[in-house]
Amino acid sequence: MTAPTRSLLVADARTKARNRAEARFRAYGLAAILLSVTLLGILLVSILSNGLSAFRQTEIAIPVTLDAALVDKGGKGDPASLRATSATAYGKLIAKALKDELARRSIPTGGLSDKDIAALISEQAGADLRNRVLGDPRLVGQTVTVDGLATGRIDGYFKGRVTLESAEKDSKIKPEQLHLADAMRDAGMMALRFNSGFLTNPDASEKRPEAAGLGVAIVGSLYMMIVVLGLSLPIGVAAAVYLEEFAPKNRFTDLIEVNIANLAAVPSIVFGILGLAAFINFAGLPRSAPLVGGLVLTLMTLPRIIIPARAALKAVPPSIRDAALGIGASRMQSVFHHVLPLAAPGILTGMIIGLAQALGETAPLLLIGMVAFVRDMPGLPPGGFLDPATALPVQVYNWTQRADPAFTERASGAIIVLLAFLLIMNAAAILLRRRFERRW
Amino acid sequence: MKDHLERRMTTTDLNRMTARNVQVYYGQNHALKDVDVDILDKTVTAFIGPSGCGKSTFLRCLNRMNDTIQGASVEGQILLEGEDIYDRRVDPVQLRAKVGMVFQKPNPFPKSVYDNVAYGPRIHGLARSKAELDQIVESSLRRAALWNEVKDRLTAPGTGLSGGQQQRLCIARAVATNPEVLLMDEPCSALDPIATAQVEELIDELRANFSVVIVTHSMQQAARVSQKTAFFHLGHLVEYGDTTQIFTKPRDPRTEAYITGRIG
Repeated sequence: MTAPTRSLLVADARTKARNRAEARFRAYGLAAILLSVTLLGILLVSILSNGLSAFRQTEIAIPVTLDAALVDKGGKGDPASLRATSATAYGKLIAKALKDELARRSIPTGGLSDKDIAALISEQAGADLRNRVLGDPRLVGQTVTVDGLATGRIDGYFKGRVTLESAEKDSKIKPEQLHLADAMRDAGMMALRFNSGFLTNPDASEKRPEAAGLGVAIVGSLYMMIVVLGLSLPIGVAAAVYLEEFAPKNRFTDLIEVNIANLAAVPSIVFGILGLAAFINFAGLPRSAPLVGGLVLTLMTLPRIIIPARAALKAVPPSIRDAALGIGASRMQSVFHHVLPLAAPGILTGMIIGLAQALGETAPLLLIGMVAFVRDMPGLPPGGFLDPATALPVQVYNWTQRADPAFTERASGAIIVLLAFLLIMNAAAILLRRRFERRW
Repeated sequence: MKDHLERRMTTTDLNRMTARNVQVYYGQNHALKDVDVDILDKTVTAFIGPSGCGKSTFLRCLNRMNDTIQGASVEGQILLEGEDIYDRRVDPVQLRAKVGMVFQKPNPFPKSVYDNVAYGPRIHGLARSKAELDQIVESSLRRAALWNEVKDRLTAPGTGLSGGQQQRLCIARAVATNPEVLLMDEPCSALDPIATAQVEELIDELRANFSVVIVTHSMQQAARVSQKTAFFHLGHLVEYGDTTQIFTKPRDPRTEAYITGRIG
């Protein structure tokens, strides 16, 4: 008995069922993509909307007369006698200048006390002015324009974080101060400007979030990445090349292979404990040093570089090795002239991903003291590798712990900086790949 | 069969390579048993036999490419110009400069045509100047009958050539180091008939300067290009002799069965 012939123009039940299954599967895939893109979008929007304002900061422009009698009590004009004047004294000078300026411009102060008026300006302004005078002693006796930072609450008012209603309940700010700030802005004394200090300043204390910056964290992260790159690239590539191309395949190399795979899965905080024990307690290296951070991150990054590097070497067709050996190249020549250049794009990609992970790593750094509050910029290399520093992700962690909401904005801003660094690294990886691939 | 070999040996005095009592093991597997072959100077020797018979394995013994295979071991004696190539003092790298190899699949380096051919002379220091190197590259490409096709695009990547051109490029690369023996492992199996004909013609020309050993699946090819033929079966060398004799009056019934298409 033969099956009845069916027209090709009519889909049979089986075909319809298969087509429906395929359509369903496509819909699942599309939904997964849409969901992940949406989540990514939410993440980006939330970070950018919270963090972009960190790149702008409210400043108050006040003309300050640096009266020699007040600033240089020793009267000698040399740095030693200028140093005797404290930042607090400069702060008082600025507060007085602000009051005078308000009076000159006849801006109504709404019955605020002198102390409340002075509280508009960050304590950092006095320290900044002192540094400026110490840097250029000829300023003594002149009238200079000080672009002092406004306090975090005033800054928050212009950025929408602080409102008149919230100020009613806030012990640190009064609605009258906000009205004064409005008047000062209308008079052109106060404005939001690009916050270059966010990228260059060190961290600041709880009381002055407006002065807190990422300078030390950026330098610390940069130094650590130099250490990680300098150590893990040669060590990782050499280990991968040896294991893949030269090592005999026996139980011992199998053991090494399994252990490398296991190390890649070890939680990073374990590497922090190891670093604390080995580099700080045993080797006696200083705490909070980028060198130690870099060493710990190198340990963590190595297996994550060796594994993709080995995969890249394995992906090079064996015929290339045969070809080189067949015309009398040595094993090393065949590896370095032919196999390694072919594997380079894959190795580089693994390297950059490893570095990007290291850049974003927080946990091990907490254990080796990079979470410390560091005010001083680390020195230039090589000495700077041993100076205390902190790191970008640790700074984010740090700021999210602070009570003042102004630090939340800064933490989001720091995440944007971190993401920008990661984007730059990934772009570099793509460019390097293109460059290497174009050669063949 | 031993006495055939001995009788023939007395008639030739131009042996390039001599293999005696060669055994090859891959781990526990005895892949090649008691192989005795002579490779004559300025002669094409063909190794034929069904798949897995050990002909490629034996070919790879001749330049110690089996050293790169994990677990392979070779016993017996293989002499190149009277020197044992498996002697402890022999560096396989030096040996492979004298015994070149062309592989089944064309495998040019992902570099320019020029660099492909110049690589061997460079690593062996055969050229003292750029002009000399240019000379070696040109003569090698001419010997491989490829010069006229690529002389205008020496800087183009070798991987961009057609399959037949790639294989001739690999031959040019192998002859550039001026080897004494050229081993070819099924050099035409990945090529179309026209490219195959070109490579076969080339092999015949190469005979003027080198002794060539070719492994082939195609009996017609063996008959066309070789003067000597060795038939391998299940790890044994069944018969070795003049190509015409092997194809017209095989002594062993297995050889006859193979060339008439009854086994393999």
